[in-house]
Amino acid sequence: MRPLDEKETTMVFETLFKFTGPNLKHLLERPSAEGPDAEPGRYCLRLHKNRVFYASESLVRRATAVSRVRLAGVVGTPIGKFTHGGAFHLTVHALDLLAAHARRRVWVKPDTERSFLFGNSVPKSALARITENTKSGDGVVVMSMADVPLGLGLGFRVEEG
Amino acid sequence: MAEESAAATSTSTNHEVDLGHLMAYDPSHHLAAVPSSRAELREECLRKATELAQAVADALFALPATEGRDGPVVRLPPPANRLPREKHLPRPAPPTKWEAFAKQKGIVNRKKNKRTWDEQTNSWKRNYGYDRVNDDRDIPIIEAKMTDEPGDDPFAKRREEKKGRVDKQEKNRLGNLRNAAKVGALPSHIQLAATAIPITGTKADLPRKSKKEDLENVAGMASSATASGGKFDKKLPGEKPLKKAGKHRKFLPVAEGKGMGNLEKQQNDKILNSLLAKNFEEPLDVSKAITMYKVKKDNNRRKEKKSSSGSDKLKPGKKIHKKSSKKSA
Repeated sequence: MRPLDEKETTMVFETLFKFTGPNLKHLLERPSAEGPDAEPGRYCLRLHKNRVFYASESLVRRATAVSRVRLAGVVGTPIGKFTHGGAFHLTVHALDLLAAHARRRVWVKPDTERSFLFGNSVPKSALARITENTKSGDGVVVMSMADVPLGLGLGFRVEEG
Repeated sequence: MAEESAAATSTSTNHEVDLGHLMAYDPSHHLAAVPSSRAELREECLRKATELAQAVADALFALPATEGRDGPVVRLPPPANRLPREKHLPRPAPPTKWEAFAKQKGIVNRKKNKRTWDEQTNSWKRNYGYDRVNDDRDIPIIEAKMTDEPGDDPFAKRREEKKGRVDKQEKNRLGNLRNAAKVGALPSHIQLAATAIPITGTKADLPRKSKKEDLENVAGMASSATASGGKFDKKLPGEKPLKKAGKHRKFLPVAEGKGMGNLEKQQNDKILNSLLAKNFEEPLDVSKAITMYKVKKDNNRRKEKKSSSGSDKLKPGKKIHKKSSKKSA
């Protein structure tokens, strides 16, 4: 387990930025009341075998006690992984975290929910609601009508109206 | 040829030749006119130098010569010009502990005789060294005092006392040298012998002994400095494999002390800020930008003033501004 180096951090931040925007700062400087210390620590990103995790500092400090071989690999919430070529892909485990901090949301009609969950993209006709100011290239959290986050997506060709 | 020799003889009377330094000096030389080009200046200098060198050679060959193995050998006279000292005069050394004590008590050095009468052996003995006066080995019997306990060995006690005295003396000697070294007045034979103390420059200029790890590092670097990164080269007998094989990367510590650690936070902040700045969508707040710029300039000016307020005497005076003809509205 190690912290990310500069290049890696830039890649992760850029991907997250698509979803959160300036809230990204908040994501990192959020006080976490997890540890036994009175003072709240902060959250940080750690890399373990190509997977990036978002964990509180106190958790990380305790995780250093586990040897690398025995560390089953989950420290905090996994947010994504680096491919062999070095690109960063967000995984669905980040949904919880991003859903809370994302700027743009999209609500999907109940009939098309299943289509999305099986991997198809969401056409405009399937959208019940969409946050205004969504542009193409923006990260978006797909929610069901019951306000349950279903997944992540990227806005594509969003027109006025 | 005759012209040259005439010219040489006519000008040689003006030269002052100091054979002790093999030097010739023409006190009346000055350039007739400022030479127009660099080449001309060079020519003139060469000509003059030839004259002077000829003068030295003339004087040299005029000396009485003896026959040496390789040719005539001449003994140069002592130099007429005294050159200034190269190094400073030796600094006065601080008084040693004994010197200070002697001065305070008014003790004066008395000359000792070469041989002293030794009561133990009833003979004349030298003062120190082999076969000396008052040697511990010559004492056959030490009478016991009332204060002595039955198990004591007075001879051993004497030996220990002597050892204590010797050690104390050595400590004092080193202390004296240290005091002298502080002032820079170490005796030269010790200054040369003490390789840990720099003669010129600072301690940082001393060549440090290379440690085992340095040599190992260099050996590692050398072994991987081949076209294939040291992978396919035949290893010499006894050569150890590289300690850090592959590309070296340095990462920040996983959990640095208390809190997220300064380095990681700095790195994150830097990246975050640049990212946010790149994608900032709001229009530029001009007034805020102006205030920021002004504040920055003020701070810089204040910093400069602070740093250069040291030697005001040497600085040129403040600029005097002419009264501006502009009239403020």
